[in-house]
Amino acid sequence: MDLALTESQEMLKSAARTFMERECPRQVLLDLDRTETGISPEIWRQLARMGWLGLAIPAEYGGEGAGLLDTAIVYEQLGRGPLGGPHFSSAVLGALVVLECGTEDQRREVLPRVAAGEQVLALAYTEPDYGWGPESVKMAARRDGSDYILDGVKLFVHDAAAATHLLCVARTGDGPDPTAGLSVFLVDRSEPGVSVRTLPGFMAGLCEVRFEGVRVPAGAVLGEAGTAWPGLNRAFLKAIPVLCAYKVGATEAVFEMSVSYSQTRVQFGQPIGRFQRVQDHIIDIVNYLDAARWTTYEAIWKLETGRPAEASVHLAKAVASEGLYRACNSAHEVHAGIGSVRNYGLVLYTKASRSLYNYLGDPKFHKRRLADALEL
Amino acid sequence: MDFELKYTPEQEAFRKEVRAFLEANIPPGLEEPVDPANLSYEQYLMRRELGRKLGERGWLFPTFPKEYGGGGLPMELAVIIEEELDRYGLSLPPYYNTGGTLGAPCILVWGTEEQKRYFLPPILKGEVRVWQLLTEPGAGSDLASVKTLAVRDGDHYIINGQKTFVGSLHGTDWMWTIVCTDPNGRRHENLSWFMIPADLPGISMTPLDLLTAGGEGGASPGAKFTVYFDNVRVPAFNLIGGENNGWKVATTHLELEHGGAGSIRRNRIVDRLIEYCKTTCRNGQPLSKDPDIRDLLVECYIDAEIGRLFNLRNYWLRHTRRPRTYEGPQASLHRKVSGLRIAEAIVKALGPYALTNDPAWDPSGGHLEVFHRASIVATHPGGTIEIQKVIMARRIGIGRAVREEAGTVV
Repeated sequence: MDLALTESQEMLKSAARTFMERECPRQVLLDLDRTETGISPEIWRQLARMGWLGLAIPAEYGGEGAGLLDTAIVYEQLGRGPLGGPHFSSAVLGALVVLECGTEDQRREVLPRVAAGEQVLALAYTEPDYGWGPESVKMAARRDGSDYILDGVKLFVHDAAAATHLLCVARTGDGPDPTAGLSVFLVDRSEPGVSVRTLPGFMAGLCEVRFEGVRVPAGAVLGEAGTAWPGLNRAFLKAIPVLCAYKVGATEAVFEMSVSYSQTRVQFGQPIGRFQRVQDHIIDIVNYLDAARWTTYEAIWKLETGRPAEASVHLAKAVASEGLYRACNSAHEVHAGIGSVRNYGLVLYTKASRSLYNYLGDPKFHKRRLADALEL
Repeated sequence: MDFELKYTPEQEAFRKEVRAFLEANIPPGLEEPVDPANLSYEQYLMRRELGRKLGERGWLFPTFPKEYGGGGLPMELAVIIEEELDRYGLSLPPYYNTGGTLGAPCILVWGTEEQKRYFLPPILKGEVRVWQLLTEPGAGSDLASVKTLAVRDGDHYIINGQKTFVGSLHGTDWMWTIVCTDPNGRRHENLSWFMIPADLPGISMTPLDLLTAGGEGGASPGAKFTVYFDNVRVPAFNLIGGENNGWKVATTHLELEHGGAGSIRRNRIVDRLIEYCKTTCRNGQPLSKDPDIRDLLVECYIDAEIGRLFNLRNYWLRHTRRPRTYEGPQASLHRKVSGLRIAEAIVKALGPYALTNDPAWDPSGGHLEVFHRASIVATHPGGTIEIQKVIMARRIGIGRAVREEAGTVV
């Protein structure tokens, strides 16, 4: 047993932290938050240059082949920012979907570009009947000669506005088994009939994507048509803990912010952290933080060592999503007025905690999957 | 990162040795009764006998230095002993011995060489059982306000006062206790620790009638007492860590008691609950198929997993001698609050079945009913839920520029 990072992992963590401190100070993040995509071309190029858009991509496809743990280490630091933008959607989730579902040629075609930051992917999976199980994909792709025609609405698609390409999941076959008949289409966002609209509200980068008579060749299907589910499921299981690590980093930052404020904010003649009611909120935050941290890293360890990991992944996602959400609530109680001032920065985390709560399945979804995994 | 204890062929050979030893030395009938209050005197003696046999090999306190009667073993081998005992539902030591598990590290850190040579071998070899005595009628959460008084008289101290919510079934050999040695001294600078033979004249005790007797971790006590000291003469040699230096010694003690020791054991109550709900039918289907009950079971499972990971982390921190701050009381806090949540979930899932231990109507064999009482009582031993939060806040530095340090542990 060794719960420590190795020396090289500590160096990676430190490099990621330094990058965030130098290149993404609070003001930069606040400015990025006001953009549609959540990222600037300069920072995107830097992420690519650092190799961080290729962390989850094997070396033979132009990536770093970093492994899940190293990827998570970087994502924890990005979450501390929190740095928004399509890096997770494209370079982790999107790349893993291509890796798990695509043919060898498709991997060689797409993944090096994703790692270089030239191609940006977004997974168009969820629909108005929102959900992350296979049964929630109802959009059908119609065969027309050697092409497919895509018609339908994908809703709450993360980072579609920043994407160059969409990974659209649709049904190419029917049947009683919801896991059968699913296909992933790689669609250029500039194809006629594709329209993307960023949704307004208390969310970052969530979009409505409409496919109206979009004609794509059969070669746009990743792998063999109708067989996408096992690959999608594997990609989800690997991507989820990386997203959890991002939430761990965000929760850690919220924790530090709250401790710091408790030491400096004076009311009734003393730092507010002297009041036990204030302390209770911060203790809740550190409990959310550590619960998320250790469930997440145990899930990663299980995945990396080839152990049965499904229950652990569902556990981690439920715990990390609820944890960040509630940690932000507690932090707002600690901060009161100043916490809701946008320029203070807490709201960046709060917005992320809501935007990412449902991404790849909300806590209820994962708790039900956990019940299945426990054979209840 | 590696969340699993890994074993070399040599360590696996050691496991075989331990397993064979336990098979040969654990007689039938030694297992923990469902309700710890039912531990018979014969069972207790059998456990003490097992403790002595483990102690002869240095396996009772495996990581303690050999020169004082410990095993001098690395963490991995200590873990193997614990894992093998766990197969029998036992832990180290296999009987209630809080004054040993908490007192021995204090003596190791704070005792003189002569004291270590005198007090440690009997504890570490299992020749004595030791209770810790902290709480008094007027000093619960505020331990530093203890009033039991020790007054120097030549090369002895004369002790007067009372301790309560202490001890276990079937008596003790020694008592490890904190007392006041300077009633006019400043707070935190007027306390001292003593190791007191239980058979000294002037010591008496009466049992408490409790909902159940809560433990601080490890083997359950089964009962609690009030202990009275009436002009008890204790050799000055038995004062550990220096007169009026007791609060510093307490930092070691309390760090361990507040969950800092960590654990590799898994709380089995949720496993039992899940098993119960999978195998018990109501209204024609297993309870676990009821959607509401499924939700409750998953919440309990999540609580149990978080607790397991906190304990595992603390075990690792302790045995790799890494710096710690709030982690000990965090694990303790989680155990206490999640215990209450799990007990409530059991009532919600099972209704009144949760509260009976009648063999005709309780397929859990009494475990769930005992757990329900224990979860309520468990909120106070080793510090209340509120006290765990107070310690965490100080260690984290909430509202303070300077963090409070965690106690030194071994």
